[in-house]
Amino acid sequence: MPDADSLDLTPVAAPPVPRRGRRRTIAVLVVLVLAMLALLSQGLLHSLNYFETIDQAMSARATLGTTTIRLEGIVKSHTIDRTSSGASFWMTGGKGQEVFVNAHGSPPQLFQANSPVVVVGHFTSSTSDRFDATQILVKHTASYIAAHPKRVKAPNGTTQ
Amino acid sequence: MKQLSQRLLGPVTLVLLGLTFWLGLWLTPPDKTQGNLARLVYVHPAVAWVALYVSFGTATIASALYLWKRTRSLVMDRVAHCAMEVSVVFILLTLITGSIWGRPTWGVWWAWDARLTSTAILGVFALAYLALRRANDDADLRARRGAVFALLAAINVPIIHFSVQWWRTLHQGATVFTADRTLLIHGLMAWTLLISFVAFTLLFFWLLRARYRLEVLRGARYQVALDEALVQRRREGVR
Amino acid sequence: MIRIALLVAAKDLRIERRSRVLLWQVLPFGVMGLVLSGLALGPTHAGHSSAGPGLFYLVMLLVTLLMINRSQAIEGSRGTRASVATLGLDPAGVFLGKALALAVELWITGAVLLAGAVLVLHTALVGTLQALPSVVVILAALAAAGTLYGALSGGGQGPATLLPVLSLPGFAPLLIAGERSFSASLHGGAFWQWWVISLVALVAYLAMGILLYGVLEDS
Repeated sequence: MPDADSLDLTPVAAPPVPRRGRRRTIAVLVVLVLAMLALLSQGLLHSLNYFETIDQAMSARATLGTTTIRLEGIVKSHTIDRTSSGASFWMTGGKGQEVFVNAHGSPPQLFQANSPVVVVGHFTSSTSDRFDATQILVKHTASYIAAHPKRVKAPNGTTQ
Repeated sequence: MKQLSQRLLGPVTLVLLGLTFWLGLWLTPPDKTQGNLARLVYVHPAVAWVALYVSFGTATIASALYLWKRTRSLVMDRVAHCAMEVSVVFILLTLITGSIWGRPTWGVWWAWDARLTSTAILGVFALAYLALRRANDDADLRARRGAVFALLAAINVPIIHFSVQWWRTLHQGATVFTADRTLLIHGLMAWTLLISFVAFTLLFFWLLRARYRLEVLRGARYQVALDEALVQRRREGVR
Repeated sequence: MIRIALLVAAKDLRIERRSRVLLWQVLPFGVMGLVLSGLALGPTHAGHSSAGPGLFYLVMLLVTLLMINRSQAIEGSRGTRASVATLGLDPAGVFLGKALALAVELWITGAVLLAGAVLVLHTALVGTLQALPSVVVILAALAAAGTLYGALSGGGQGPATLLPVLSLPGFAPLLIAGERSFSASLHGGAFWQWWVISLVALVAYLAMGILLYGVLEDS
């Protein structure tokens, strides 16, 4: 057994952690930034869209069939027919294609002609332009325009 | 000067909030399409601005400064914590006011679109941050873990901001911070919107200051209680 | 860093092989989760392959939570952290090693549950096989993120209950990407777009882990 005096009992410090430090940090940060840019670039993320436009839906009619989708378009003026179970109307896409919507359930407060809406439902067949909807959602634009601009008076008392 | 501005912070905030509600509810005209529903534009965007950018941004910056050794201090940790707490309140307000607006306009209280979902996820992140802080007793560990988590959560903020530009969403696009820098609101409506942004931003700083002072007092009380407990133990030892 | 990562991964996998926790606890849990999901949906919906991708990833998330707790418990055993500190191991290497071991375990579980999805939830076999590249990447991303969140929740009060609160908001985008890519491989759609998104998420989580794991572990 070794003599206690001959033992080196000095506390042993943990070996220093090798610091690749700054270069690695910079490299990792560059990778992170590139990853974020790639993730956030528009082209990658289009599949998160909340709805299909009429043009998209019409061009994919064969594959869509009668599966439930969200379809967006503008309510065509003078076509709204409010029924006891909901409303029916024609909806127009960006390229002028039209879909006849038969919606069940009461439409939202802002539902009106020429307003953009999203309808949830399905086409009645894989070739039909008739769409059975269970819900109407009204999209409102980002523009705010005064309904009665003359109500606002200029500091000199004249109407604007 | 600093003391004066701190004293004025509360009253000025209240005056601006009052002004916002007065202008928003009585003086501004209704919107051509949305009618009186559009008056929520003087509350919801400003609350969301504070929730996502001002308060979450403050928490993120303070967290990053805490992790950076040169600027590491208890102040940064406290600021991050307090800002995150205020952020939770504003995120909840954002979701509630958004829901109230959504029901009559869209027709639903909640829609699974990118803007709404990512905001809700941010709210869960903020709540998780508070849960994480409560789970750790060691002050340094708590601060470091909280800071790392805040940075991870902050990735969500740009996603929320750009969601309405990147994807087709039910949520309206930007009215003020538009891609082509054109303002989509004018006249008194625009001025009221601007005042609401200033008012709610000041409200954030007022709340943050109050919460920070509470945190400092709590820290001091903890220290006093600890000293008293130590004295008590020493007395017991002497007996 | 890579050498340490391989050492740590081998250590974790060796412990797993000897304890057989994966085989006797985690896999049965996953299979039960899949069957119960089917029961909860009812025969009409569960038998429809459109439910398969979502249910598969939901069960995988629950399995991931179990495994992260297990992975952290290994580090939490007496003397392990002290040994790692004394050896002066590079935290980034430790992170990568733990993430790699977790990824291997998730891949094994994922393979079993995918077979279960084909059998129980009637997901098409060809589409399921086509989804493999995305499943591999998503599960690796879950492993990387999970290791990071596991380190965040470890050591405090109630780490097992804290972990889901911390990690689930972060897992949500991975769940979306996984479900969408799996659905795209079954029914057509933007499969490769979602695959790229998953890959970017994996790289981002690995980078953040390399950067921040040391901050969490060093005390």
